[in-house]
Amino acid sequence: MRTASTREMVILLREVAQKQYILLRRYPVNTVGGLLAIYVFFALIFFGGRAVAGPAFDDSLDSLIVGYFLVTMAFSAYQDLAGNVMTEAQWGTLEQLYMAPLGFGRVMAAKTVVNVAFSFLWGGATLVLMLVTTGRTLAIDLLTVIPVGIFALASVVGVGFVMAGLALLYKRVNSIFGLLQFGFIGLAAAPVEQAPLLKVLPLAQGSFMLQRAMTGGVRLWEFPLADIGVLVAVGVGYAVVGYAVFSVLTRRARQRGVLGHY
Amino acid sequence: MSTPAAPNAARETPVPRTVDHDERTVPPVIEVSTLTKRYGDVTAVDDVSFSVEQGTILGVLGPNGAGKTTMLKAMLGLLVPSDGTVRVCGIDVHAHPARAYRRLGATLEGARNVYWRLTVRENLAFFGGLAGENASDPAVRARHDTLLDQLGLLDRADDVVNELSRGMKQKVALACALARDVDVAFLDEPTLGLDVESSVDLRRELRRLADDRGLTVVLTSHDMSVVEDLCDRVLVVNHGRLVADDDVTSLVELFRTSAVRVVVDGPLSAATERTIQSDYTVESWETDGDRTRVLVALEDANDLPALAARFVADGGRLVSVNTVEPDLTEAFLQLTGGEDR
Repeated sequence: MRTASTREMVILLREVAQKQYILLRRYPVNTVGGLLAIYVFFALIFFGGRAVAGPAFDDSLDSLIVGYFLVTMAFSAYQDLAGNVMTEAQWGTLEQLYMAPLGFGRVMAAKTVVNVAFSFLWGGATLVLMLVTTGRTLAIDLLTVIPVGIFALASVVGVGFVMAGLALLYKRVNSIFGLLQFGFIGLAAAPVEQAPLLKVLPLAQGSFMLQRAMTGGVRLWEFPLADIGVLVAVGVGYAVVGYAVFSVLTRRARQRGVLGHY
Repeated sequence: MSTPAAPNAARETPVPRTVDHDERTVPPVIEVSTLTKRYGDVTAVDDVSFSVEQGTILGVLGPNGAGKTTMLKAMLGLLVPSDGTVRVCGIDVHAHPARAYRRLGATLEGARNVYWRLTVRENLAFFGGLAGENASDPAVRARHDTLLDQLGLLDRADDVVNELSRGMKQKVALACALARDVDVAFLDEPTLGLDVESSVDLRRELRRLADDRGLTVVLTSHDMSVVEDLCDRVLVVNHGRLVADDDVTSLVELFRTSAVRVVVDGPLSAATERTIQSDYTVESWETDGDRTRVLVALEDANDLPALAARFVADGGRLVSVNTVEPDLTEAFLQLTGGEDR
């Protein structure tokens, strides 16, 4: 395969990001509505929880905010990847992306980078709204939150790639698609300290470290090397394996002649 | 120059277009060799081979389900073929797809191949970006403007595609396929759903691009008039096999017969009808009250007086006798055994 120059990759990234930004800006009701829905759901949990549990609810509020922040980003990254592949197939543009002169793999990589970046924007906006609503403060050290968040989301991206591949091959996978989203909530709350083996599941280690960073003020370099190693290995491992599965399923879809079907 | 294959013989053994390599100065832009696609026991594309030279507009005809789109997708690498190779500009599409995609553009779903929520110009920028092309570059912008102007889209360049007519959406898809200055365009049913005016515009533009820019076009269409007007060469596909490969004129000539349409008023007995049916090749026989319309293929034009005499033998009156000019539709039906499914 011809090697794409850095300039070409930058242009590809810019065009993918620009398209996403244009669509957010052009349909503001949809954009604001999406953010509002996420916020309203949190507000229901927050005000409802306070009404039921009283001041005791505040003891776990910081953890709830961090968990909600991470799950919002995970939903966004997952949906923008797997859901987008299904939508592109429905629109009739997926085959055009496949025929990208820079290569389908690079296009998917660019989409993933942009999706994760936009997930941080969504998560950040939600976080600000949550902090304003609850009046709480958290330790938000960007040098810690961003890398931990990226590797946490990398594992979700891996799962997204597998779902995207399954969608190309089997088309109707909405039920599993939705189920996995609920699974992310459970994974973000996984008790990795009590059961260390859970760390190998997507999102679990990232969630654990993000909780400690944002509620305990632990900085990236203060984490044990082993924790960082597990975070990176799980994130990269899921992303690489997920992409490999996606590639195999894409080829299978091409063999069956259903790549652009929906 | 290829020799048109007799339809029946060709169905058994597809005849690839032969090219005299010694006479050719430019290698073919597209080379398809023994392309085959099987789904289990079903062979959708069966051992298809042909080559196409630069600036040619090649039409691919075939009944529904004949394998046209499968063939096109296999040529583009969107399908993994069971056998065979496809080279575009000398690049093996299946071995080096990204390199090949630099040289070609395709619209397979017409207007559905573009983003309806983006403007025309944003679509061009996005699809150019898939090749690492910078739409803000003045040279690229100028090329886009020229293309949009040629397709009559320049005034609507900043309109969201969703707001455009179907014909215009189709043109946007074409513009996106051609925006990168490609050598080859693959177009599946490019005029489907277009009104007559838009269809004629599109044909004119494709012809101009082929003549002026040397663009090679491979298109499928159900619209015989599009193929007849536009294509330099036609492939007819049936049951996944190539049953004919030639220019429109030669294909039509292949099936030229001295066909006459006879219209008779007045009585025509069952016995007369029987003898005409048995002595001549009658393609159609319609009776409407006292009027009878018959289409007869004559092997020899000198048989016409004798045929006319048969029709008036029972006291009827000849209203008209017209020779019928064959067209591509007739040739197509003959080649596919009338399978216009």
